[in-house]
Amino acid sequence: MKKLLIFLSILTLMALTACGSQSSSGDGGESYPSKDLEFVAPASPGGGWDATARAMKKVLNDEKIVEENMNVVNKPGGSGEVGWKYLKKQDPHTLSVNSSLVLTNNLLGKSQLTYKDFTPLAILTTEWEAVAIPKDSSIKNAEALMKQLKKDPKSLKIAVAPGLGNDDHLSFVQAAKTYGVDVTKLDFLVYESGGDVVSALLGGHVDVATMSVSEAKQQYKADKVDILAVSSEERLDGLEDIPTWKEQGVDMVFPHWRGVMGPPDMTEEEIAYWDEKLKKMTETDAWKKILKNNEWQSFYKDSSETKKFLKEQEEMYSDLVKKSGLAE
Amino acid sequence: MGVDIQTLMEGFKTAMQPMNLLWVLVGGFLGTVVGMLPGLGPATAVAVLIPITFGMDPTSALILMAAIYYGAMYGGSRSSILLNTPGDGSAIAATFDGYPMSQQGRAGQALAMSAIASLIGGVIAVIGFIFLAKPLAEFALQFGPAEYFLLMVFTLSAIVSLSKGNMVKGFISMSVGLLLSTVGVDLQSGVYRFTMGIPQLSEGIDFLVIIIGIYAVGEVLYNLVSIDKPKGDKKSVGKKWITKDQWKVSKWPILRSGPLGFLIGVLPGAGGSIASMLSYTTERQLSKRQDQFGKGAVEGVAAPESANNAASVGALIPLLTMGIPGSGTTAVMLGAIIMLGVQPGPLLFQHNGDMVWSLVGSMFIGNIFLVLINILLLGLLVKILDTPAKILYPVIFVLSFIGTYTLNYSIIDFYILLLFGVVGLAMKIYKFPIAPLILAVIVGSDMEQNFRKSLVSSDGSLGIFFESTVSVVLLILTILSISYPFITEMIQKRRKTQDTAGNHHEL
Amino acid sequence: MPLLFFVVSIGVIIATLNLPKARLGNPNAPVYFPMMLGIFLLILSIVYFIQEWRKTEMEEKEAVQELLQGRVPKLIGLSLLLALGYTLIFEWIGFLISTILFMASLLFLINGKKKWMVNIATALIFSFASWYAFGVLLQVSLP
Repeated sequence: MKKLLIFLSILTLMALTACGSQSSSGDGGESYPSKDLEFVAPASPGGGWDATARAMKKVLNDEKIVEENMNVVNKPGGSGEVGWKYLKKQDPHTLSVNSSLVLTNNLLGKSQLTYKDFTPLAILTTEWEAVAIPKDSSIKNAEALMKQLKKDPKSLKIAVAPGLGNDDHLSFVQAAKTYGVDVTKLDFLVYESGGDVVSALLGGHVDVATMSVSEAKQQYKADKVDILAVSSEERLDGLEDIPTWKEQGVDMVFPHWRGVMGPPDMTEEEIAYWDEKLKKMTETDAWKKILKNNEWQSFYKDSSETKKFLKEQEEMYSDLVKKSGLAE
Repeated sequence: MGVDIQTLMEGFKTAMQPMNLLWVLVGGFLGTVVGMLPGLGPATAVAVLIPITFGMDPTSALILMAAIYYGAMYGGSRSSILLNTPGDGSAIAATFDGYPMSQQGRAGQALAMSAIASLIGGVIAVIGFIFLAKPLAEFALQFGPAEYFLLMVFTLSAIVSLSKGNMVKGFISMSVGLLLSTVGVDLQSGVYRFTMGIPQLSEGIDFLVIIIGIYAVGEVLYNLVSIDKPKGDKKSVGKKWITKDQWKVSKWPILRSGPLGFLIGVLPGAGGSIASMLSYTTERQLSKRQDQFGKGAVEGVAAPESANNAASVGALIPLLTMGIPGSGTTAVMLGAIIMLGVQPGPLLFQHNGDMVWSLVGSMFIGNIFLVLINILLLGLLVKILDTPAKILYPVIFVLSFIGTYTLNYSIIDFYILLLFGVVGLAMKIYKFPIAPLILAVIVGSDMEQNFRKSLVSSDGSLGIFFESTVSVVLLILTILSISYPFITEMIQKRRKTQDTAGNHHEL
Repeated sequence: MPLLFFVVSIGVIIATLNLPKARLGNPNAPVYFPMMLGIFLLILSIVYFIQEWRKTEMEEKEAVQELLQGRVPKLIGLSLLLALGYTLIFEWIGFLISTILFMASLLFLINGKKKWMVNIATALIFSFASWYAFGVLLQVSLP
């Protein structure tokens, strides 16, 4: 019994010191940040949001840009809704990753929250959208694809993941619209993940797939699929043969961006702090290497640019969601 | 890719490097321990242990993650056998006969058999991987929405047919499970169904929460009913090694289930749950002593264990040959290796062939390590049964909550957990079969979505379900598995009447 | 018991009728599957009812009676209530304290007051160990 008591008291001590060290790591003064930071990834481990949050934590802490310890917290559910609802109630020591879903959830009537309920801090990265077809497809270019869909919108089956109203879906709608396709009649097969879309395409179970470039690139390089168009401004590194939508007469640049935001009502100083730190982060080699590994591109915008950008994006998406037939 | 013996040998050599051996050992051990806890299956085990891989060389990282993966598969069935509380979908089939065995005081043998079966299943699958990875990956691509739908229908019908003699309850259990699977966003239309405005429910009820609720919490509540009763004999652990006869009856089930599990594992999305349940039902229908199944038949532990371990090796094939993750666990692994700068995809074998073959080598060694770990742990594990019930059950109760929290970090899941704890208790008291409900929750939403995708791609024609050879085979198997219980019943009845007729004759 | 399923299936059918319509494609596509299941369950509950009604001996009766014996209902009811309490305070006062409280009260309830030393020791060791294992080693973010 004595041994047990000693063991217990040691355990208690250990726990107490652990608690103590956690709460005393801040500077104690008035300066922000005054304690450990929390980083909400509004999704489970394994996706783009989680990867972005963990990459940021790694670079900010490893490169000593931010001295305070950053903890990544996963709050999955409702396409970001759960995590962002949580963020809304926190103090400025909690930040969260976001993407266009912070706009479209609201436009699709799935959420009350929109970017105006938070403090936008930055846009960090983007991926681009690609339209891919099986290698043996009779369709040879984007124009032929769209012409066929204009004649009969149900003649081709289009794979998308993981839900209608996301960037993969809406970028395709946007392009199809300019060719005069009746986009409300298109047959989309919704798959659970990008991987499922790729296997459906490889197996010939769908005729077309719309997905992010990174998901299609490896298959293209191995000569398993063809890519008809990418949604970037200029042709992409490693995919120099693939024309952009712009070159093919569609005036569209469609980024699939990811950014960072904080809870509502952050002060000027707090915003300035992150403008400085995040800019520094995007300039490190470690960050650039992570972008390269993940096939992300830098798309950095500081807080004021981000605000403006989000406003434009909201108008764009609002229009697009209506055209797609997903909302009135 | 052909098997190049030399590159394979190189791979083994890399895998045998002391550092890599250590990672296999560490990964296997951690995986086993984490996998034993309720709610912590392979996907969570790999996800929470990923930070260890940061900064590692990609080959070692992949070896470590794979070791955690199949370590968790080994570990998951430990708690199924000892406590009737599976940690993951793929460990459910191990409860069917494993738990009865440990109640009869044969826990040691059940654990030993499961370790041996897992080893053999794993080795079969690794050999399959070496020779068949590419052609199998091509074969898996032929599975379109129609084939997936039929595969899921077949698995469900096979499980329902297990509740022979009580088909109504089996079907009710299945229907409730399917209904639960419809909660959440409907992928094809984006409509939210039955979410009651709770955003946490928009992606559906996590089937792991239901498993922990019904099995672990339900089991605890069920045991509270009899907790004050003096236990008859103290449960003994029994022999710690299997007998010759047990090996004899299990030999063929193990050898059959390995390839079956491997094949199903290769199909993206199907995974260990379907593999282990199908191998169990198959062996039961092939068996000469069917009446023993569910009452502690040793081959009923061997078959699913062999299958689910083989499935975990098979699941790596789409990931490594095409860059397509076939399960939650492999998706997490994919994310991790991308972070380390490796591009998985169709070119992985060309660009990083040495890495893949080292992994194959390490899986071979890892399976042997795991059997050793498990046999060494055996003595320790069965001690769990010596813990007084009045302390053990509260501990399991609280562990269920903690395990649930690690899934989604959400308190909403606690309410769901409690609800299904009560449901589990009721099902046990009213003798409803649990497996159909759980399996229906796991495959239900995929089944519906694939059915609807099939109809969209065929423009509404049902003909799509008869188009391919695979579909027709699956259809026939489904019909067989559903009619099988009725046929055997009829044969038995006829035998009985003949017997009585014969008796009359003699009189 | 069959009555319960009857009520559930009616509830499901009503709920499916109130589901929102799909905006793209067939507006009723999300409704068919749950509707079908509701009807199937309704039929099953009727069959189940007839089956039970015809049966003379009730095999479940014994199990139900056992459930209502002695301190069993109190034990199960209180365990569930404690779990509910744990759920309510978990995020509010944090993992460690709430788990110690929950574990200790469960043990007092089930294991009895006489063995208070064992109860408290188990509660403390278990809570600290799981906090260490999950929160520190596995880096799960616990409240």
